[in-house]
Amino acid sequence: MASASSLSTSSRSAAAPAAAAPSFRQRRWVRMAAPLVLALVLAVLPLVLPEFANETIARIGVFAVAVLGLNVVMGYTGQVSLGQIFFLGVGAYVTAYGVQNDWNIVLVFVLACLIPAVAGLIVALAAARLGGLAIAMVTVALPIVGVPLAKRLSEFTGGSQGLSARFADNPEWTGLYDDQWQLYIVLVIGGIVFLLTRYLVRGKYGRAFAIVKGNENVASSMGISPYRYKVLAFTIASLIGGVSGFLYMLVVQYTSPETMSFGHSIELLAAMVIGGAGSIVGSILGGAWYVLVPQLTNAVDASLTALLQGAVLLLVLFVLPGGLASLPRALTRGRRRSGADRGVGAPPTTPSSTAGSGTAAEGSERERQGPA
Amino acid sequence: MNTHFRSRTARGVAVVSALALTLTACGREGGGGGGGGGGSASPGITDDSVTLGVTTPLSGATAGPGTCTVAGVKAYFGAKNAEGGVEFGDGKTRTVDIRALDDTYDPQQAKANYDQLKNDVFAMTAGLGTPTNRAWRDAAIADEVPQVLIMTGDPLFSDTEESPWQLGFVPIYQNEGEAFGELLATSSEEHKVAILSQNDDYGEGYVEGFKSAIEGADNIEIVDELTYEATDTSVDAQITELASSGADIFFNAMSVTPLMIASLQKAQQLNWKPSWFLPSNTSSPGAILEPGGAAAYPGIYSVSFAKAPQSPAFAQDEDVVEYLAALKEHGDYPDPPAFPHCQWSWMIGATLEQAFGEMTEPTRENFMEALRSIEDFQAPLMLEGTAVNTSEEGQPAVSTLNVQKFNGKGYDTVESFG
Repeated sequence: MASASSLSTSSRSAAAPAAAAPSFRQRRWVRMAAPLVLALVLAVLPLVLPEFANETIARIGVFAVAVLGLNVVMGYTGQVSLGQIFFLGVGAYVTAYGVQNDWNIVLVFVLACLIPAVAGLIVALAAARLGGLAIAMVTVALPIVGVPLAKRLSEFTGGSQGLSARFADNPEWTGLYDDQWQLYIVLVIGGIVFLLTRYLVRGKYGRAFAIVKGNENVASSMGISPYRYKVLAFTIASLIGGVSGFLYMLVVQYTSPETMSFGHSIELLAAMVIGGAGSIVGSILGGAWYVLVPQLTNAVDASLTALLQGAVLLLVLFVLPGGLASLPRALTRGRRRSGADRGVGAPPTTPSSTAGSGTAAEGSERERQGPA
Repeated sequence: MNTHFRSRTARGVAVVSALALTLTACGREGGGGGGGGGGSASPGITDDSVTLGVTTPLSGATAGPGTCTVAGVKAYFGAKNAEGGVEFGDGKTRTVDIRALDDTYDPQQAKANYDQLKNDVFAMTAGLGTPTNRAWRDAAIADEVPQVLIMTGDPLFSDTEESPWQLGFVPIYQNEGEAFGELLATSSEEHKVAILSQNDDYGEGYVEGFKSAIEGADNIEIVDELTYEATDTSVDAQITELASSGADIFFNAMSVTPLMIASLQKAQQLNWKPSWFLPSNTSSPGAILEPGGAAAYPGIYSVSFAKAPQSPAFAQDEDVVEYLAALKEHGDYPDPPAFPHCQWSWMIGATLEQAFGEMTEPTRENFMEALRSIEDFQAPLMLEGTAVNTSEEGQPAVSTLNVQKFNGKGYDTVESFG
């Protein structure tokens, strides 16, 4: 509820000036300034927030990156992947192993990206030959193989006892608390990954992904090899999964076979759908969902968490099938429509009580057909 | 396309900034964790109350035992609070509050729960699970937050050098294997032993303890030794191979309930009828021995340090009656306890009270000192011959166990094998 309510207030505050002056958002200085303001807020935030808030945001960052990777292959390219948590786990294990052996941290980071990416590439070369649900079946195998593998290879993984690695103690010169330092690293690495991914999916490759998602035959006829782009999307998703694994080690500082259990893969998938498939903002919201909902249900009643999470999940899917990222669109569409009904002279009051059900359903209709 | 994408950008910026700003509500104060030296009180303790934190699986596959880990200690202090509170060593009487969070046996969530609790609670306690406790062990050491009387058989938590702010409660795996090995070594007959163990630290711990206890005993011979994976769905092949060894003792260090039932059934089908040793967490009479048809075997042995409330022998026991009443009234646990973790958790409550009674300053350092100096404390519900001993290097709070033999309904403590 916390994320949902803050979201709705934010959408209202964002939508209110837009209704008054529709051109506001299109003005040049706003477009230039907004990212700057965001960067400034994110830079100052870790300094003023309490410790637990910092840790929570850092954790959201970790899973937002994992969900983003899943979004590349599923949301943008339309290939069902149930194995994303495996790549997170591999990235985490590589990081832990490297840190324990005192490797250079930059090298560790590069390996934590490359090894999952290579693993993903190998899997994708085989899996992408299959279509539709067959890919899902192949990717299911990854976490199922990953857990016993992590237990067996105890020389590298520490077996079922797992590996601990603390490597993010802040350097003396920063004068920061550990949680602040960690959050900065997550923000920088996560921010870069998000930016790169945004350029990727908005550019030439993104259009190719969208066509592969829409219709493989059309893609082929346009000279776009569906196979090649599926493999590419899958590999990038694995690489991003590896990055999230690195960040996972940074924030959680421990990994064990439990980390890549199949259930978490499904939870990541649910987080992606709830955040908004094929949406950058949706990935952040998905990460927030993954982290905040267990905290929220814990606060309500610790012994009913599973039940409450299921109920919230169903509620969101019923009310907002396009995910949380479609909420502002659903609300603004609703407002426009009700404004038109009343005529131009009608006072622009916020239809807060009715916005929830009816309008959202219509928004979702469009979300389902709309392009990625 | 272009304007669409820009408006999306703007929206994204707005959403993220708003989300961030709503979180800016309260500024940083203190931070950095505990570690306050001298006489100033640690977080989570005042002159009239103390708060303890628990992170444990309350949903998912391990929810059964996990719920028990909270219920027992909650019931114990619930009953104490109803009488006015607990007397501390500094002369003050405090009520004890328990804040329990669900980690679903997910290490990441356990760490998150710890982060959430660490500045509000005086100490963390009673949580169940090896990976979930390991996940925040390093952080607890760095923050100097006690992580004590937790329920894992992992020896790491009882190593004072490695884990200065930790202490396990239940016997480590080695203790259990050792207890059975010692009993067997005193037998007057020759025995052939077949061993099956889970291929991880759990199985290895049991076998290590067992072997160290029978070292030098001439009457014991290990004739065959196999392993299985915790993820295996069948151990029929291993049972068949072990049956051909002709062993009369079967040491089965297995933590998976369905596999344990299946092995009990499979050995009968093969007409192999040895005496069995089962670990304490897979020896439940109702859930495992009955469906497994254990009555067919000459002896089923296990280990325990807690009175079983279901057993007729303890039905009128003072401790048991008081415990069951409190569990119902204060522990949110109306049914008869299905897992021994409920009893262990109750003992943890009693042990903590013991440590509180020795505390002269309301600090975490002082608490750890007090906790590490408990000797031969017979907590309620403990079996004759077992006790809490926190000053032994490398051992958890409880390291003594009674070997018990299945009597068709429950378990009886035995002094000798046979």
